[in-house]
Amino acid sequence: MIIKNNKDEFASYLTDAANFKGAAEAVYFPESEDDIFKLLEMSRAKKTPVTISAARTSLTGSAIPQNGIILSMEKLNKILKIDAERKKVWLQPGVTLADLHEALAERKLFYPPDPTERNCTIGGTAATNASGAKTFKYGATRAFVDSLKIILSSGRKIFIERGKIFADNGKITIPILSGGNLEIVLPDYQMPPVKNAAGYFVKKNMDAIDLFIGSEGTLGVITEIVLRVIDFPEEIVSGVVFFQNERDAFSFVEEAREQSYLSREKKTASEIDALALEFFDSGSLKFLSEDFPNIPPEAEAAVWFEQDVKLSERENITEKWFEAIELNNGDAENSWIAMSLKEREKFKNFRHAVSVKVNEYVASKGLRKVGTDAAVPDGKMRKYFYESKKIIVESGIKFIVYGHIGNSHFHFNMLPENEKEFSAAKEIYAKLCDLAVKMGGTISAEHGIGKLKRDYFLKMCGEKAIRQMAELKKQFDPFLILNPGNIFEKKYLIQI
Amino acid sequence: MKIAVCVSHVPDTATKVNIGPDGKTLDPNGVAFVLNPYDEYAIEEALKTKELLGESEVVVISLGPDVNKETIRKALAMGADGGVLLKDENYRDSYAVAKALAAEIETQGAQLVFFGKQSVDYDNGIVGQLTAEMLGFNCATVAVDFKLDGDKITVEREIEGGKEVVETSIPAVITAQKGLNEPRYASLKGIMAAKRKTIEEKEAAAAENYTEVLGMKKPPEKAAGKIVGEDASAVPELIRLLKEEAKVI
Ligand SMILES: Cc1cc2nc3c(=O)[nH]c(=O)nc-3n(C[C@H](O)[C@H](O)[C@H](O)COP(=O)(O)OP(=O)(O)OC[C@H]3O[C@@H](n4cnc5c(N)ncnc54)[C@H](O)[C@@H]3O)c2cc1C
Repeated sequence: MIIKNNKDEFASYLTDAANFKGAAEAVYFPESEDDIFKLLEMSRAKKTPVTISAARTSLTGSAIPQNGIILSMEKLNKILKIDAERKKVWLQPGVTLADLHEALAERKLFYPPDPTERNCTIGGTAATNASGAKTFKYGATRAFVDSLKIILSSGRKIFIERGKIFADNGKITIPILSGGNLEIVLPDYQMPPVKNAAGYFVKKNMDAIDLFIGSEGTLGVITEIVLRVIDFPEEIVSGVVFFQNERDAFSFVEEAREQSYLSREKKTASEIDALALEFFDSGSLKFLSEDFPNIPPEAEAAVWFEQDVKLSERENITEKWFEAIELNNGDAENSWIAMSLKEREKFKNFRHAVSVKVNEYVASKGLRKVGTDAAVPDGKMRKYFYESKKIIVESGIKFIVYGHIGNSHFHFNMLPENEKEFSAAKEIYAKLCDLAVKMGGTISAEHGIGKLKRDYFLKMCGEKAIRQMAELKKQFDPFLILNPGNIFEKKYLIQI
Repeated sequence: MKIAVCVSHVPDTATKVNIGPDGKTLDPNGVAFVLNPYDEYAIEEALKTKELLGESEVVVISLGPDVNKETIRKALAMGADGGVLLKDENYRDSYAVAKALAAEIETQGAQLVFFGKQSVDYDNGIVGQLTAEMLGFNCATVAVDFKLDGDKITVEREIEGGKEVVETSIPAVITAQKGLNEPRYASLKGIMAAKRKTIEEKEAAAAENYTEVLGMKKPPEKAAGKIVGEDASAVPELIRLLKEEAKVI
């Protein structure tokens, strides 16, 4: 196992994509489960905290330690088996999303969860329950994880297959591979009824596997994953539609969303049924105009949509979108429709570029990202958007908004110029979180809590729930060495 | 004025191509075809010229099998007014392609013709020039800037290590280089309008090939990389290999 002890050699392991910074003594690069056993054994003996690190594309500080050692998953990066017939993939957690997509495409298979940043690893996306543009139709990573092999901090191994172990009466019994069971008591808080990635997944009669998906590495080290995949779509209709104002863009989205839900209910393939619905405000378009000079200058908002279709339905579906665009005052003359895979990829880059640009901008000022990840119930989408926007506009701080609008999920990104504005931006962030919670939403729909959003999460679910979550973690990690500081502060692990 | 754009339907450079069983042609199975990237600049320049001139018409011409209609349709969705497919299922060399295109351009009565500077399938980069010669048109290649003022044409060309500005006049053939413009995406309105436009299909004018493909070969596989070691102790060996095997230092 390679070990890096020299801080100069592992500086990049101490910052994530949100420019959250940390500290560590060393980075370990296990190449087998055995290496992980040994590392955990040593950490238990010395009570050294272990932080699991994959590609560090996380935006919450979840993969960045404050002390202790780093366990990097990057050498465990093999695709073990692709079963095209059963549509399943066995892989090690360090496989990147880009590599998985490439391997699947060769076999005409497709894995829908794509959290925009394709350098992330499958282990990282499972640990954060990442989602992306296609979540509007296919759900988050959770919906595609079939089984997980996990090593607990005790060194004991568990293997959980979806559909085998369920909660009963607030308890879950998880068999340990070497014998015996873990009897786990579940927290009893209620998750908001929206797209959500905040805290542990807990539900009545839940599947045990869901507890680990989105647990941010606090319960165990994921060492092998089996994913469900689908057939590669015959064709994808993809377009970027420009609007003269946000209102029209919202009407368009609401119509497309309603029709999509209806189509799914009726199981029809001949109507609008969006794969993705993504929003960009005028600020985002300005950010992008350098790289995409074709953006019409008068556009005040844009929506990128995609729909996977049968080849025989392509024309019909394109026409349906055309009608929806015309009806909602979209700029049909200047909207873009992809006529090739290359152009479709360009539109995808359009979405990716805006998040990258924000991260770069913030880092160039030496500051940290202040961007919301809140989602609200669909009925509250407009109210949430306008009230949030009003709060930021009044502050005078520059900002841009984009996001997975199909799920009523916006990223309001503040663009502070200096430390003073940065502090003010953080206050606004808190207000926007409060607003989302008040409307029945979540403070984190996809990025998770990590170390950056703990205070807001505490406010969202209350101290009692946080204490229950800390108890849950202790049942899996009684040594308190795995990813301490994620989801809730360490103090909740020590207090009784 | 009538403006013609000649476009080809080529394998996407991102897809892996295989050689067919005869060892002389590409196996089209599993290959994604696209509009030749340089032709996108040609179409855009034709459309921009038309928008500037007002009273004019853009016709897209492609030579090849039925599937080329896909590429013509894309050009129609971008805004071209009409399309012609010169049907031919067989392999043609650049000369035979140019022959058929020149005949069609003459029939159309086009005075200004845009090509991509080369098509990325065979990369010969001479169809535009040959066509100009056959038609007796002026010709400016590898254009990165194009201006039309009455009959006068000013073209900035990319040349080795710099730029060259040339002047000529209509009738002319211009071949487009990347950087000439920013090709537009098809708009929804364009796609709807394209449905009402027809693609004229006719047999490509017969012509003999001047060249014959004797065989095709794939480039040799790249050898796998070598990991010499993981820490400082490997440096001397690495230096030795760079000196003696790779001969780069
Ligand atoms: C430009 C950009 C856009 C993004 N857009 C989105 C988006 O649209 N949607 C979205 O959901 N996210 C988005 N993200 C966030 C990010 O891609 C995800 O959070 C991703 O899932 C993290 O994967 P990673 O491999 O980088 O993990 P890391 O960041 O390295 O780690 C994330 C967490 O997972 C834990 N972990 C990693 N591997 C394991 C393992 N094997 N076992 C246990 N725990 C593990 C880590 O300890 C940490 O807590 C974006 C990020 C960027 C930079």
